[in-house]
Amino acid sequence: MKNKNIIGFWGYPHPELINKYKHEYPNAEWVDLDIDYGFTKQDILPESYCTIIKNIINAAFHYKDNLIIILAPIGKDKCDSGWFCYELLKDMGFNIISSVFEEKTYKKDVKISTSNLPLRQKIEMITKGIYEQNSYNLTQCEAKFGFWGVPPNDLSVLELFPDETHVYGWTRCTEAMAPADIELEMYVDKNVPTVFYSQAFCSKAQLAKYLADKYNGLYIDIDDEITNSTKAKIEAFLRLR
Amino acid sequence: MNKIVLDAGTTWSKIIETSDSNLMNNYNDYLVKNENNLKYYILPSSMLKEINFKFSKATGHMSLSMLNDKKDYENEVIALIQGFRKRISSDALILDMGSRDSKWAAFKNGNFKDLDWNNSCSSSTGATIEMLLKFYNIDVRKLKFTNEKYVITCGIFGLEKIMDDIAKGSGAESAISKFIHGIAFNAWNFAKKPEKIYLSGGFCENQCFVDSLKNYCEVIPLGRFLLCEGLL
Repeated sequence: MKNKNIIGFWGYPHPELINKYKHEYPNAEWVDLDIDYGFTKQDILPESYCTIIKNIINAAFHYKDNLIIILAPIGKDKCDSGWFCYELLKDMGFNIISSVFEEKTYKKDVKISTSNLPLRQKIEMITKGIYEQNSYNLTQCEAKFGFWGVPPNDLSVLELFPDETHVYGWTRCTEAMAPADIELEMYVDKNVPTVFYSQAFCSKAQLAKYLADKYNGLYIDIDDEITNSTKAKIEAFLRLR
Repeated sequence: MNKIVLDAGTTWSKIIETSDSNLMNNYNDYLVKNENNLKYYILPSSMLKEINFKFSKATGHMSLSMLNDKKDYENEVIALIQGFRKRISSDALILDMGSRDSKWAAFKNGNFKDLDWNNSCSSSTGATIEMLLKFYNIDVRKLKFTNEKYVITCGIFGLEKIMDDIAKGSGAESAISKFIHGIAFNAWNFAKKPEKIYLSGGFCENQCFVDSLKNYCEVIPLGRFLLCEGLL
């Protein structure tokens, strides 16, 4: 048992569940399994599938011997793929507990999404905030551009944007502690040129494409790493709009 | 004005040099046009490694090594748009069909409106046609528009249909024309079905493609040097 020091999670587990495990395991390391750490690829999912779910599986197997438990969102706050992934990992013997965080009880203002921090830093701060609550006094800024979507597998995408980029979509919902708030997820500032990002093979592509068409934004989807053409497309959009 | 600019595509490189520059003197066999104090060259991109000078500005998949400074590299979509706006200032859509990709940009009320760049579903379309023409020893000028088209998602999938048709006794020219019509239909859909397309890239010289595209919208070919013109 002495090597079991990691609590794995994906998405946004229910705050009560997070608090419970923080209390029980105050010295545990929290690891966001959504992130691409470059671990060995497991041949479990189909080749053409959401990279984020692949990351979860790869990271779960990498940390298998060290995991205390995995907190696994399976509700509208995550996606069906998260639900199926939970079932698979449970079936393969992982100590895993499901979570549904669909209420808006905890909803709070978003100050990181609208701050003047570099976009990548904003999003990393938001995702870290899931398990590590901090208070910040951040300088707010007018939005020149918007980034809508989930944290991308390839975070370098975010470095293409100027600091005056506001965050929308699921990531904004996450900062607001309301990851299943569909109204907030679909909210954008209609006068702010926005890039609508979807992870390839993710059902949120439906929202991203629809909103991009509705608000005259740019829809992009990226599988694992950004291609030169997608990068150039974003650069062109940011320079021309 | 930049003295010598390069658009290095996967297969072909387009170069424009001002008349007061003589860096391309050894490549006169590739000079395709000389007008308004500008010299226009097209040469295989595989020849770029022989060139021992650097360009003033460049764009395209294979151009970074041809520059002294990376800051002289221009995004392909930006180069296309800059070149297009030098020629056409009205609201319009420009579609560039290359050897391995296609990209378009649209303007409304004088401003940039929308763009897309497809490196996947349109992969290898131009290159595939060039290979097919060489393989079957067919002159592109002999290809005629045909009402029939293959429903193709990319060059590689299209190959299978060509082979099938030829195996059934269809002529190679007819099969390749159907393939080209399929590409034109895809390109029109990719550009969101506009009423009018300004066309850039090697496909401007493929009359079968232009006629196929005309089946769906008005087409005005602008030639192969638009990206280079955007760098001048």
